Amino acid sequence: MKSVVIGAHLRRDDVEPLAAALRCGDLWLSGVDVADDQPLGDRELLLRVANIRAQLLERATFVAIRYGFAVHGAAEAEAKCAEHVARWRRVLEANRDNVEMTLKVAASEPRPRPDRRDFAGGADYLRALHGAAQAADVDPRFREAVSSIGTHRWTHRDGRSLECALLVARADVAQVREKGEQLKRDFHEVPFLLSGPWPLEVFVD
Amino acid sequence: MTEEQDLSLLETLDHLLDRGVVIAGEAVISIGDVDLLYLGLNIVLANMDAVIRTGRK
Repeated sequence: MKSVVIGAHLRRDDVEPLAAALRCGDLWLSGVDVADDQPLGDRELLLRVANIRAQLLERATFVAIRYGFAVHGAAEAEAKCAEHVARWRRVLEANRDNVEMTLKVAASEPRPRPDRRDFAGGADYLRALHGAAQAADVDPRFREAVSSIGTHRWTHRDGRSLECALLVARADVAQVREKGEQLKRDFHEVPFLLSGPWPLEVFVD
Repeated sequence: MTEEQDLSLLETLDHLLDRGVVIAGEAVISIGDVDLLYLGLNIVLANMDAVIRTGRK
């Protein structure tokens, strides 16, 4: 039996009984038990983990751990996460009442994806992919309007879209959604998707 | 499945798979040169595409 780790939490009762609580220093990891031979790419498992993840967030904010990290017991989890625990605790204590929201927006001038066959080596191809993504941009007025919502980080996803992560107080989620509706009215020509709340994913580092 | 539900599901999966802290060396389950996790996820996403197409008909 292995545990697919979902996140790091301040308190044990933030985790149980929705998920198994694995002690990790003075934090707790949430884990979903699965058979050793069950592929992590299994669709039903993926949806089950996503559902538990959402329920955990309703309890309290946690540090999200990317899907795919699986351990056999708390001792293994603690050994592999030990170097992160102090930082995660600081992040969790500072953001106990915060969540993340995400705004994904289409680039104003989508960049064509580089064709692998045009490159002799993988490194050159990866550089070209990175360059295409970094060249993507959005209407500066839209970017400014989104940035004004609050604490934010913009990232380039690919040549066709950018993403802005917003750090939002739980109490302000509805207000941010309303600002999203206002953005739709003000920038009806800009396709975007505002979603959340999410656990701490971007603002962990 | 409505388009809004499609988006919500896809967005949820995108966050699960593409966000959060990566514990070095543990994000991919591999045997030999094959990344089983990502191979599996490709199958998941392929199935998801089918679900969405079916839902829109």
